[in-house]
Amino acid sequence: MSDRFLNLGGLAMVAVLVLIVQAPATGQTQRTPWGDPDLQGVYTYETATPMERPEQLGDKEFYTEAEIAEMKAELDEQNAARRAARATISRILDPRVPKTGVTNRTSLIIDPPNGRLPPLTPEAQQLQDERKAERASRNISRVGDGGTVTDDLVYNSWLDLSDYRRCIARVIPRHWALYNHGIQILQTPGYVVIHYESMHDARIIPLDGRPALDASIRQWNGSSRGHWEGTTLVVHMTNKTDKQTWHSWGTANAIEGNTLLPVGNMEFVERLTRIDENAIEYQVTVNDPTTWTAPWTYVMPWRGGDESGDEYKGPEDLFEYACHEGNYRFMENTLKGSRRMLELD
Amino acid sequence: MRNPPGNLLIVIVASVLVAVAPAAAQDAPYTAPRLVGTENPDLNGIWQALNTANWDLRPHAAAPSAFPILLGAFGAVPPGQSVIEGNEIPYQPWAAEKQRENFEGRFTRPLDLVTNETTGDPETKCYLPGVPRATYLPFPFQVFQTPGQILIAYEYASAIRQIHVGREPPSPNKSWMGWSIGHWEGDTLVVDVTDQMGQSWLDRAGNFYSEAVHVVERYTPISPDHLMYEATIEDPNVFTRPWTIRMPLYRRIEANAELMEFKCIEFVEDFMWGHFIEDSND
Repeated sequence: MSDRFLNLGGLAMVAVLVLIVQAPATGQTQRTPWGDPDLQGVYTYETATPMERPEQLGDKEFYTEAEIAEMKAELDEQNAARRAARATISRILDPRVPKTGVTNRTSLIIDPPNGRLPPLTPEAQQLQDERKAERASRNISRVGDGGTVTDDLVYNSWLDLSDYRRCIARVIPRHWALYNHGIQILQTPGYVVIHYESMHDARIIPLDGRPALDASIRQWNGSSRGHWEGTTLVVHMTNKTDKQTWHSWGTANAIEGNTLLPVGNMEFVERLTRIDENAIEYQVTVNDPTTWTAPWTYVMPWRGGDESGDEYKGPEDLFEYACHEGNYRFMENTLKGSRRMLELD
Repeated sequence: MRNPPGNLLIVIVASVLVAVAPAAAQDAPYTAPRLVGTENPDLNGIWQALNTANWDLRPHAAAPSAFPILLGAFGAVPPGQSVIEGNEIPYQPWAAEKQRENFEGRFTRPLDLVTNETTGDPETKCYLPGVPRATYLPFPFQVFQTPGQILIAYEYASAIRQIHVGREPPSPNKSWMGWSIGHWEGDTLVVDVTDQMGQSWLDRAGNFYSEAVHVVERYTPISPDHLMYEATIEDPNVFTRPWTIRMPLYRRIEANAELMEFKCIEFVEDFMWGHFIEDSND
């Protein structure tokens, strides 16, 4: 009996803690005039937190305050140096290291608990190996003066380039960006629209309970349907196209390497919750049993206002991302250059 | 029966009202529902022009496609009356000549390699369409109207425009869709569009403007499912005077209406880049 009593006491304690923890998030819900939770604003999804946790950190989910202070100081120093070195380069291309977005998380991935992507299925692993091998077969190494080795990829066609470089699309959900990481959310009765500056995409999310597009229709940005769960906007995204691969810049800040896996079977559940006046918590669960052996989840802040750094404070800070219109010389040089490399090889 | 004169009076009054009401309804301007929480009309919705302005703003008869041997009747030009007030575009003489050149060269490969300027109809290259052409391309667009900020998403090429309302942030630079500042005149949304790139065309007939263009758009609700759209185009480099186009926009009323993707870049890559990987010297 006493054990049970203690357990109940424990449960009650947990309940109280949960209430205390949640209170700031739900205490002052901003609402639209028609009563929906208000997520509107301009935000950035820039982050300094890597998608996957460094393996040596094991199950350590958070850095300590002291560790964070040290990292921030280091970041400021790096930024100052980079900015000084790039003083003559466009500000837009400058912030290679994010000025904001430092959280105490050790990884964006929160599930699995080790903060790392689940293993690939055997089929996905095989496909990835084949695609990596194909890519490697297009690599030309040259030894230059002083013995430096330069690796260049041959692009036989525009189809060897990512949809990003072809200016068609970028994988949504977005999780990191070198630049143009501004987002604008607007709401009208029955809709939430997320305007991504990069690729000038307006992601229109109907809230009226309509079914997803017919399964035969595949789109770069899929089909999105939303509903409210309390103050959280829950979006189901399906109908993605296999023409798109789950790509990223191969940096520590993004998923390791270019996995080149098609996104067509991937389904996403995104949860957007306002956590304070300036920030949205963005949580995404990715599920594709043909690619990964388990679903996985990552979480990141979308920051606005003063928290966004000095770049995306208001709607006028989002500018037109006319990528394709300026892509002629890139394509010409890439494709002609590849032919020339093959001639020289 | 107890009070027949009263009933009779009601019948008479009702008859008069019935007789008067339709006339009054026709004469009175339409008053649109207000955007929740504001005094402005609600322009939210999916809209689409239903005309042939994208082929030619001017009056035009039907015409074959440029490649009838390949396409048959596909791609033929549908006939249409003018959407221009006064039917004529007041070109300066050089510009009238340029329009004819544009039309002749509308399928030219992109970018003049000597002048570094684009040639050919930007629509063939899936370029952002500019304003006002975005409005009457044969694709729907969706208005997201909030009190201070309006976003228009166009199905064609995922084009997007922000309209700043009630504030006038300065344009940071030229852009393909221009910089839009809106204000309300009664129930009309008036949008000043400046700072366009000047490489956009107005239609497939090669009608054009320059980077000096100033477009004033007017969106006025005229029924629950119609907007009247007007655009006044002023460009001292190209025209002798400002001129105006006008057309209704129709609400897409299908229950499942939604913008889908027309990300046309992948449809033009062979056209645009094919010559870079073929055996040729260009």
